Amino acid sequence: MDNKITLAIESSCDETSAAVLRGGREVLSLVISTQIPVHQKFGGVVPEIASRKHIVNIMPVIDETLQKAGLSLSDIDQVAVTYGPGLVGALLVGVSAAKALAFTLGVPLIGVNHLEGHIFANFISHPDLKPPFMALVVSGGHTSLVHVKDYNSFALMGQTRDDAAGEAFDKVARVMGLPYPGGPQIDRLAQEGDPHAIDFPKALQEKGNYEFSFSGLKSAVLNYLNSMKCKNLPVNKADVAASFQNTVIEVLIAKAMDAVRESGCDTLVLAGGVAANSSLEGRLREAADREGIRFCYPDKLLCTDNAAMIGCRGYYQAQAGIYSDLYLNAVPGLALTDL
Amino acid sequence: MPILAIDTATMVSSVAVADEKRLLAELTVQTRLTHSETLLPHIEKVLQLAGVKKAELTGVAVSLGPGSFTGLRIGLAAAKAISYGLSIPIFGIPTTEVLAWHYPVPGIAVVPFIDAQKGNVYSAVYTWQGDGFAEVSPVQVYSVDEALALCASQQMTVMAVGDMVAKKLAGREDLPANVQLPPQHLLMPRAANVAMAALRRQQEGREDSVMDLEPVYIRRSEAEVLWEKRHGTDNEKEKVQP
Repeated sequence: MDNKITLAIESSCDETSAAVLRGGREVLSLVISTQIPVHQKFGGVVPEIASRKHIVNIMPVIDETLQKAGLSLSDIDQVAVTYGPGLVGALLVGVSAAKALAFTLGVPLIGVNHLEGHIFANFISHPDLKPPFMALVVSGGHTSLVHVKDYNSFALMGQTRDDAAGEAFDKVARVMGLPYPGGPQIDRLAQEGDPHAIDFPKALQEKGNYEFSFSGLKSAVLNYLNSMKCKNLPVNKADVAASFQNTVIEVLIAKAMDAVRESGCDTLVLAGGVAANSSLEGRLREAADREGIRFCYPDKLLCTDNAAMIGCRGYYQAQAGIYSDLYLNAVPGLALTDL
Repeated sequence: MPILAIDTATMVSSVAVADEKRLLAELTVQTRLTHSETLLPHIEKVLQLAGVKKAELTGVAVSLGPGSFTGLRIGLAAAKAISYGLSIPIFGIPTTEVLAWHYPVPGIAVVPFIDAQKGNVYSAVYTWQGDGFAEVSPVQVYSVDEALALCASQQMTVMAVGDMVAKKLAGREDLPANVQLPPQHLLMPRAANVAMAALRRQQEGREDSVMDLEPVYIRRSEAEVLWEKRHGTDNEKEKVQP
């Protein structure tokens, strides 16, 4: 592993972030400017407002990151940037700035898939982690199982057909009147509830099916809340949160462990914003322990959207010569695919 | 002492390199290609054409808007990164002024008609003062008819410029008598104009902050307007129309 200095930029949703890495795994500095308070009153991320914040935050965030790393622009060997998936207007701010910076500095540009970045966050938190392993990616917009065969060789086992797990969390939270972002609120409330109080349905349960579907579950929770309201019965919100969360977690665990077994991997890694969910992390660890499978997940800070993971992913792409040219565009619907 | 100028406020993507004496090179494209894809390759090309190395640039200028929100941010993000990466000053030029630079002519007024969506336009009134433009009426959102009334109230010939001229004014028979519609090559923004405006600012030392510079949106986001409709606001009503 060489000691290339990578400047990484991430602006796919509501965090403006920059990081400087030495080699693939040593984070010299990471700055994340979050917009959560700005979007809270709207009950979700407003794309145009997010883009407006990014264009204001982008240079101060990059500048602070370089200062914290104690480096100057001339030390940068390559620039990595998230080009999708995400909000197009938000992505474009990071992509445009990264392209211009790579051009002015005369260094290579590396376009990074945000979801691959989430997986690679694990390499930063676990210096000894190496492929192959199975990755469960659970974020606001995505739920996927990816067989990471090597640093630049992936096989997509399955992904969500409709709502991602994180989306279901946010929607259920909204209906229950919990503030945005709903995921952490459900997790907190669920700690006080009975996870077996209400029996919610699980979709796509047949063996060997690694696709996910959470929209039926979401509807079941909404129907339950409605019918209780119509019958004038009290709702125990903690029980609803706990039962809903338990259902999601059981589906994720069952499919992840099946995928680990089928692939013959000895390691399961969790990635994405929902990896910060304490119950999911704890229960996956238990399931992995029972079968003697190593389980990893990133440090809390690296579970959320951040540029360090983009820098790590970018570094390994560069090692394999996977660069972008100055025509790089934002791809809002960029998917995880076989590589 | 060449500067690089960028305008991606509208359907036109335009980049130019100019110094105090000459417009060295300009690349102006209106082909509905994505600005985000082509802007940096065009910048690379125009510098080549001008025979100017990146390191020789003494400033970067960008058209700030109003215009397409996304287009503005593509141009501004690139301009900021270039300013930061080369440690050179940045100059933000309102797109209305960029358009006015088609007619640095005394005795007439220039009124931009820039698409503000929903049949509205961003307009302002500029007059040439010999060494620069005076903004006689500040930029705001008008209906097309209101903007035409603004033109009619000027006691001089008015050149109507901007992307909405071809879309909304061409072919109208009720245009005020003092309004002139220029040919299409003088309707849209171009980076040469951005450069001309910026070179004056450079001489006067009026640079902007690379850390803080924002597009000129004029309009707030749809979500904020809706939110205030539902919840009201304690702030004084803004002059800007929704």
